[in-house]
Amino acid sequence: MLISMNWLKGGLQLDGISDEELVKLIGARLVEVEGVTDQTGKYDKIYVVEVKYGEKIPDTHLTLCKVDDGGIAKDVERDEKGYVQVMCGAPNVYEGMLAAWIAPGAIVPQTFGTDEPFKIGMRKMFGKYDSYGMMAGADELDFGDDHTGIVELDPVWAKPGKTLSATFGGLDDKILDIENKSLTHRPDTFGILGFRREVAGILGQKHVTEDWYFNPEQNFKNDPKVKLDIEIDEKLCPRYTAIVFESNLDGVKRYLDFESTMLARSGMRPVNMIVDATNMMMLAFGQPLHAFDYDKFVKVGGTKHPKIIVRAAKEGETLELLDGTTVELNTDDIIITSNNVPVALAGAMGGASTAIDDKTKRVILESATFSLYNLRKTQMAHGIFSEAITRFTKGQPAGQTKAVALRFADKVRKYLKPLALFDTQTTPPKPIEVSLTLTQINNLLGTDFTAEDVKKTLENVEFQVKLDGDKIDVTVPFWRTDIHIAEDIIEEVGRLTGFDNINPVLPLHATADPNPLYELKTQLRNHLSARGANEVLTYSFIHGGLMQKVGQNPDNAYKIVNSISPDLQYVRQSIVPSLLDKSYGNLRAGHDRFALYEYNQVYPRDLGTDNENVPRGRHELGFLFVDQAGKSNYYIAKKYLESLLDSLNIQYTIEPFVADSVHTYYEPKRSAIIKAGEDVILGCIGEIQGRISRGFKLPAGVAAFELNLIALLKTERAANTKDFRLSDYPSVSRDLTLTVPVDTSYAKIESAIRTVLADYIYSLRPTSIYQADGAETKNLSFHLEFAAPDKTLTKDEIQGIMKQLEAIK
Amino acid sequence: MATIQELKNELKKLNAEYAKIKDLPADQRADFGKQLNIKKQQINAEIAAAEAAAEQEDVAPLDISAPCDINGELPQFLTADFGSKHPLMTELDRVIAIYQSMGFDIAESVQLDDEYHMFDSLNFAKGHPARDGYDTFRTEEGFIPPAHTSTMQNRVLKANAHKLAEGKAIAVAVPGRVYRNEDVDATHEHTFYQCEGVYVSEDCTLGNMLAILREFFEKYYGQKLNIKTQPGYFPFTEPSLEFLIEKPKSLGGKGDGWLEMLGCGMIHPNVLKEAGIDPTKYQGFAWGGGIDRLVMLRYGLNDVRNFESAKLDFLKEFAC
Repeated sequence: MLISMNWLKGGLQLDGISDEELVKLIGARLVEVEGVTDQTGKYDKIYVVEVKYGEKIPDTHLTLCKVDDGGIAKDVERDEKGYVQVMCGAPNVYEGMLAAWIAPGAIVPQTFGTDEPFKIGMRKMFGKYDSYGMMAGADELDFGDDHTGIVELDPVWAKPGKTLSATFGGLDDKILDIENKSLTHRPDTFGILGFRREVAGILGQKHVTEDWYFNPEQNFKNDPKVKLDIEIDEKLCPRYTAIVFESNLDGVKRYLDFESTMLARSGMRPVNMIVDATNMMMLAFGQPLHAFDYDKFVKVGGTKHPKIIVRAAKEGETLELLDGTTVELNTDDIIITSNNVPVALAGAMGGASTAIDDKTKRVILESATFSLYNLRKTQMAHGIFSEAITRFTKGQPAGQTKAVALRFADKVRKYLKPLALFDTQTTPPKPIEVSLTLTQINNLLGTDFTAEDVKKTLENVEFQVKLDGDKIDVTVPFWRTDIHIAEDIIEEVGRLTGFDNINPVLPLHATADPNPLYELKTQLRNHLSARGANEVLTYSFIHGGLMQKVGQNPDNAYKIVNSISPDLQYVRQSIVPSLLDKSYGNLRAGHDRFALYEYNQVYPRDLGTDNENVPRGRHELGFLFVDQAGKSNYYIAKKYLESLLDSLNIQYTIEPFVADSVHTYYEPKRSAIIKAGEDVILGCIGEIQGRISRGFKLPAGVAAFELNLIALLKTERAANTKDFRLSDYPSVSRDLTLTVPVDTSYAKIESAIRTVLADYIYSLRPTSIYQADGAETKNLSFHLEFAAPDKTLTKDEIQGIMKQLEAIK
Repeated sequence: MATIQELKNELKKLNAEYAKIKDLPADQRADFGKQLNIKKQQINAEIAAAEAAAEQEDVAPLDISAPCDINGELPQFLTADFGSKHPLMTELDRVIAIYQSMGFDIAESVQLDDEYHMFDSLNFAKGHPARDGYDTFRTEEGFIPPAHTSTMQNRVLKANAHKLAEGKAIAVAVPGRVYRNEDVDATHEHTFYQCEGVYVSEDCTLGNMLAILREFFEKYYGQKLNIKTQPGYFPFTEPSLEFLIEKPKSLGGKGDGWLEMLGCGMIHPNVLKEAGIDPTKYQGFAWGGGIDRLVMLRYGLNDVRNFESAKLDFLKEFAC
């Protein structure tokens, strides 16, 4: 929404307050100002002139004009009468007209503030005609895009020699850019009246809305011959006001008017006098209006007099809109019908069949409100984002439809004669009343307002306030559809007086509970990254094809119905597929050996839902080791996994792989599951299947592990999985090599050694696993150090231990 | 089961069948072609399965319990220099550590939620346009990858309501990954991180909230800071505010610029009520702000898309 500061400032007391301060205050207490466009100087050196003489130049489109600028322009050549010569290409120029003249040295307003401002000067045309400055069209003046001719000014009040800016009450303006979304809850601020009322409140000034707004019926008499029926469904259309006018447009000439200049400054395009007048009402009061051609309306409905029926559209109904498109209506759309024949899409756009045109004799003006919920759906379904529907979807108050309709009648009486007014509302609804206490206000905000402070603050923006000791009774004005409860009133008080004036005071701190999941996450990140691994983050949403590539079933994934692209269509079931997907790019970038890991949540569907019927997720750590050399990386992945689990003092076992619905990409013969106790699966580790690695253009031997962090957390931690004691007695250092059948598991042997050494303080380190060519046995070598906790071991004792160890098979 | 060679022969024969299409009457061609395509797909799938099975056969098992391959070297960790932590996660750590030091418990947000937690429990009227502002994704079942960490407010309030009865305050910070359906460019991501704060007690005030937020940012940037607010609108807070801090010195601030850090406000009575907390006895405040932006500001980054790219070239800049 664009707001002219000149318009906004009307009626406010702004002595000593600069525009900059005002913008700051608006930002602090009403709404963020996204930007301010300064148009000061945009209309400098543009004057109202009278065309004194015009001579068509044969075989060209040009007219040689002499204009009277009252002698105001400098540095121009003048004839003996003091007139300036300007060549004009517009077809509508004539002797005696008042025009807008851009004098030499001025910037063409259309280019003002752009990268290439165009400064006008003197041009010689056809090598012989001097032309000073230019006569301006609406487009060049940046008052819309009309390029059919030059603008003409009304001789009743425009005077040659006056600046264009002064003629229109000051065009040196600043335009505020306000994000509509920021005022979703404040329909009243979508009109200058409401916005200005707020600014008055912020400045501590009392705003008084004129009486016509509250008591709009004065001096209006219906012509009894004019009949019109209105039927509404109050849920869809709380109020519908209509005025029938007789058009008096014959011979009315459109001069450049204030409305055009203001519409342009507000980001709207001038169209014609009637439409522009409705739009001005909308900008002023936030109430969109719509004009129908009366006779077309009646003809469409086949009735004698207009019968307006507002209802929900029916499936299969269509409507041709003003812009020529035909929309298929749905049952959420609200439509205006003429005796049940659709003629307008309520709140969004009028229909082609009842559009105003040059021949319009009578007009029906609509001033109504509609259900914002329905209009929101209409907006989405038909992609209509007009200024009108933007306002309607904020929930315009029903209290002002009649006042604004009559205000419109007053503004256009020169060319539209009001005949009769019809309104569905007979008695206004009771205003909302909110009771609260001063204590409540001060206790919520941390302030020390007096009851009088509160009263004044609220009355400034036209709430009615009654004080009774601590008690404050507030009557809410009808336009504040957002206010229902005490907290809403408290917000008003805090906001209007400035939240920034509240003294920040820290409450007493309690201590925080430790968070084991968060601590675990921090531990594992520290552990892995300190060992050269790289933490990554990847999207939670992946392509269905990626799941198929790793053997996962997309049916086991939640599918996003409004995904940005097919790449982001499914909620992922595990982490490692994303890591596989991101590895090739890193190989190509020259990283030939790396470890990636990510902690995140995954949501395979077969985890089901929790007791609130929300999908259960898994907190998963995924780790992947890639080596361009193509060797097996199972054992290095295992080294990372084991050192991590050891650092967490978790007791675990590594057992043969068991497939599940999610971890489908591990090579079963070269993978394992990690268990704690009998039946808790902590995760799995293994090589990625060769076919799958190749599918990602990755070398063979890529290995991964995944850990379920909640399972890890639930696992009882040992005090220590490692013996930190040092013996006070000398320790023995020995190498041990055991020859065992090839298919004997390493774990079996290691565990046997540990059993033998259980009573000693010892350390064990594997040094190699060797198998000779063609042999059916392998040699497992260890380096051992051991000592007794309570004495020095004798030679015999050592030999005894070694014998036991060497006997292991 | 047929051998791979047999299947391939069958496929060859089938391919030859296609030549017959042109001799068929026009009205039968499409159907015939369709049947052939179905058969072809079947055979291809069987070949793929057979090849996969064959490859499985060839795979040598390994000793899952051993420290290294037979005749292989004992593996070594990568050099520590290679390692890096994700800057977003590191920033979350910093943020969380400060909240914890200020007495806030930590609860991580969920990444798939429902309409109730995302909107209904937060006082969004059904079908209200304010819901559109969040540009949410939806699953076929109507679940929502949350668009803000406020999706946890109801849960956090319910889970901690007992503290109020014990005369303590509820003070929880909720970090989490959130999602919005918007096009990605250098400054917009559909996936990003937020941290929420929730505080409820018998008598906490908006003044307390401003003090806590200022305290947080002063600790975070290690300097005294001026703060200011702008009116905001969230259905779940009343009053609602945007919170700004003066640009800190460490970010090149010279006491002139302001940074919008988060949205905040006093928790709406309906939100407390929905969580079973009596709004006539207790009041609270809540806030939520983005983490990605903090990282962008800290390191002077200009492209948010790098965060989820998993590019080592980028990540290794953040060696630990």
